[in-house]
Amino acid sequence: MMNVEDLYRILRTSHVQAQGIVDTIPDPLLVLDESLRVQNASRSFFETFRVDRYETIGQQLFTLGNGQWDIPELRSLLQDVIPRSVAVVNFRVEHDFPSLGPRTMLLTARTLFHPDNAGHLLLLSIVDVTDQARRDVAKDMLFGELRHRMKNLLSVAHSMARLTPVEDRSAEEYREAFLGRFAALIAAQDIAFAEDSAGDLKTLTERVLAPFSGEGHGLVIEPGEPVELTPKSLTSLSLVFNELATNAAKYGALSAAGGRVSVSWRIEDGERLRITWAESGGPAVVSPDRKGYGSELIRTAISYTLHGQLGQEYASDGYRAEIAVPLVE
Amino acid sequence: MQRTVLIVEDEFLIAMHLQRLLEEHGWRVIGPVATVRAALRLLEEKLPDVALLDVNLGREMVTPVAEALRARSVPFAIASAYERPERFAGEVLAGAVNVGKPAVERRLLAALRQLIDREPVG
Repeated sequence: MMNVEDLYRILRTSHVQAQGIVDTIPDPLLVLDESLRVQNASRSFFETFRVDRYETIGQQLFTLGNGQWDIPELRSLLQDVIPRSVAVVNFRVEHDFPSLGPRTMLLTARTLFHPDNAGHLLLLSIVDVTDQARRDVAKDMLFGELRHRMKNLLSVAHSMARLTPVEDRSAEEYREAFLGRFAALIAAQDIAFAEDSAGDLKTLTERVLAPFSGEGHGLVIEPGEPVELTPKSLTSLSLVFNELATNAAKYGALSAAGGRVSVSWRIEDGERLRITWAESGGPAVVSPDRKGYGSELIRTAISYTLHGQLGQEYASDGYRAEIAVPLVE
Repeated sequence: MQRTVLIVEDEFLIAMHLQRLLEEHGWRVIGPVATVRAALRLLEEKLPDVALLDVNLGREMVTPVAEALRARSVPFAIASAYERPERFAGEVLAGAVNVGKPAVERRLLAALRQLIDREPVG
């Protein structure tokens, strides 16, 4: 498609000023004489500004369409700037057009000197970028939101590294513990912002618990009704599942052959999610280390973010946890 | 006397971290709390010496808490990912020290210490 520069070149070299050429310009275009009278206009000018040829050609620009082009910035552009420079490119004008409402236009103007006499013409193209400008604002907001979310996520990872205990353990043990939690954080992010099935509890449990199911013991996720969770709730539950599974692999049912963990959930009264973690067939249940960071993390995740409750039972046949989370606040 | 600090932070891991850090350095932590409502309720009970505020609490901005603290002359610092929090959460945050997110621990401790030292004696 032809732009103002191409047209300028054609008009300059071949001395023609054909309506056909003007009409090939996709954007609204005016050809103005020295007194800013409209000599010619492209078809898209008539279409965009809803005016017809007869009320346009021969008129002075600032009187066109009840003076809707009598814009101070445009006046100064054409009367002050253009005489002193050959071209003005993408000059931004915000204006409330009576027929169109508030619009943002980019004006490009170019002086065309007539080779046969001392006169000149002016090419003026007008591109409506209102929608583009609106999209830009929305995009800026989205980028701002993403930047904030990213910083927040890094900050959570930072806190996690700081909180994972270093006392009485090797660097390797620390790394394993940190990376397990970090993986749970990433899993929650992936699922929270997945394109399909975003925020799904089943997808989350499968993903977080997959590394823990192995030979000789079983980790079963019972079929449950679909539950969609917010990104924050997902993150908290993801970390909780990681802690429960890590404990089970260290001391519980997943630490011995024949052990079994069953994960299930149901929705009670349409307003409460109840998740059950039930271990069986493992070694004798040992007294819990209630002060450990892992259990503090589980308790805080459930109370602070999920506003939920944790019930724990150290039954002789296996550890059992019940997590009740309100679905409506 | 042990100084008190109110922590408002909606991310539980960050809240746990800030609490532990400040407790390790001799502060008594009030909260942490995740919402404006919970923070205002705590302020009704007893005023802390200082406060440490996250700005974006997920569903709300911390602004009403900052205003309540200002009205009661309780100094506060901000721990926010925003470079200029006042642009998002109001003028009441302008001028408050932002220790950043993640908070640089030394800077955070120094900022709170400074807020206390600035307080009029008595």
